[in-house]
Amino acid sequence: MSKYFHDLWSAIFSSMVGMGITLKHMFLIRKGNVTLQYPEEKWPRPERKIGYDLKDYNVIRSRLHHNIDDCTGCNKCARACPVGCIKVETMKVPKGTDLGTTSNDTIKRLLVTRFDIDMTECMYCNLCTYPCPEECIFMTGGPNSSKHPLDYEYSEYDRRNLVFNFAKVTQEEIDKYTIPPPEEQQKDEVESS
Amino acid sequence: MGIVHGDEMVLNIGPQHPSTHGVLRLVVKTDGEIVSQIRPVIGYLHRCFEKHCENVSYDQVIPYTDRCDYIASMNNNFGFVIAVEEMMEITVPEKVEYIRVIMAELNRIASHLLALGAFGLDVGAFTPFLYMFRDRERILDLFEMTCGARLLYNYMWVGGLSHDLPVGFLEKAHEFLDYFEPKIKEYNDLLMYNKIFIERTSDVGVLPTDVAVNYGVTGPNLRGSGTKWDLRKNEPYSIYDRFNFEVPVGKGQMGTIGDCWDRYWVRTEEMKESVGIVRQALNELPVEGDVHEALPKKIRPPKGSIYKRTESPRGDLGFYIISDGSPSPSRVKLRSPAFTALSALSVIAEGWMMSDVIAILGSLDIVLGEIDR
Repeated sequence: MSKYFHDLWSAIFSSMVGMGITLKHMFLIRKGNVTLQYPEEKWPRPERKIGYDLKDYNVIRSRLHHNIDDCTGCNKCARACPVGCIKVETMKVPKGTDLGTTSNDTIKRLLVTRFDIDMTECMYCNLCTYPCPEECIFMTGGPNSSKHPLDYEYSEYDRRNLVFNFAKVTQEEIDKYTIPPPEEQQKDEVESS
Repeated sequence: MGIVHGDEMVLNIGPQHPSTHGVLRLVVKTDGEIVSQIRPVIGYLHRCFEKHCENVSYDQVIPYTDRCDYIASMNNNFGFVIAVEEMMEITVPEKVEYIRVIMAELNRIASHLLALGAFGLDVGAFTPFLYMFRDRERILDLFEMTCGARLLYNYMWVGGLSHDLPVGFLEKAHEFLDYFEPKIKEYNDLLMYNKIFIERTSDVGVLPTDVAVNYGVTGPNLRGSGTKWDLRKNEPYSIYDRFNFEVPVGKGQMGTIGDCWDRYWVRTEEMKESVGIVRQALNELPVEGDVHEALPKKIRPPKGSIYKRTESPRGDLGFYIISDGSPSPSRVKLRSPAFTALSALSVIAEGWMMSDVIAILGSLDIVLGEIDR
């Protein structure tokens, strides 16, 4: 019988101890407020340079961005990707064609005809950004939106809109740089047909 | 009237059920309220981790290890990385070792906070869950400022780390530890020493030491049964032999050794020890050092195999890697501690009531990402 009352007492007492803690939290709500009124308030994202001097983007991984003007089409990012969400296609140009240089003064030798990033497949591991010799593929997001005006809260109604096409090459350019097949071969084809 | 013979009812719990901690299905035979047989059905989260490793290179495996035990990704990175490093005979700089230990222990605290909070939720305590998630958030913030991700980090690489510690990390980490240590007492007052919680968990789901050893149960579940086995002490890997910490062992304070309450208590004590380890590591952290110094140009371990196990928050996490000298592993086997814990469930939970089974499952702290792989 005494155990019964003892248990009852300890149950009430230990519950009161717990209630005291929650009560303390109730009155300290201003100090320890952790709920964020999300669309109005936004969580402060850490700002940090991660070693590349030219681009002061931070470590936050929200969306993969590619700077096509600096791309040489070396395909290193696509090979580093574990899931294969980066698709790069390049085209050889005739000798002597000037495709310009990157911001690191590397001469571009290949025409990047396709550079697609499928963000529905991306696993946000960041492995593609490290091997890039021109530092032109990187994750964006966070407070540096003035530098990279990309919204990190991106959502789409159609999943096809999450495939980002970065290549800017037009069909005219492709036709212009297409190396015509040797003439002899063409003749042979005409004769055989 | 004679005795009424009721048929046993087969009850499906899951795969979508809040108290199964993931996509686990339990086929339960119940005799009234008493559970007479439990058969876990797994595989709903199978992602071919082991087979997939054979098709990607070693550095590309690391983000997939994140996704095995997604509550403690840093510890999974750690286990795989030191296994490959031992194969390639890479010595990593002091600074890298310290940062790895700091991250692994912080992640252990985060993992235990989730385990304890979810356990509380299973037995009907909602407030501790919210408090623990609030504090877990601060650890995730530390990880976010370090490597940019909150859950799947890809932080530890073979031979180093992806980023150095950011400016202001040490202050923030010390600030968190000072904030967190008194909070443990708060959780204990709120949940662990609550009489209702004790009544729900003590003497329930007793896992005797011999059963635990036979089933290969490791980690806090084994230590809750009274066996002092911690790989950080017994088989020190990395630099764990430099730190002073105790291995908490269940003593059966509220009932029998190895009950649900003991497993809860061991996790609480482990968080305290982890705080101590992080403190020591932060104080001894070398200032000089480059985390990219020992990164190999090409990760091609020589022919051979290795089995390396580390102490993840759930127990012995083993990686068995066979290398044929090519850039991708020939075979990877993950020894999952949560899988063995789940296999012991049917032994310890049979004969208990339905609500106790949920409590026992919560106390085992399983992660289905690791069980199904």
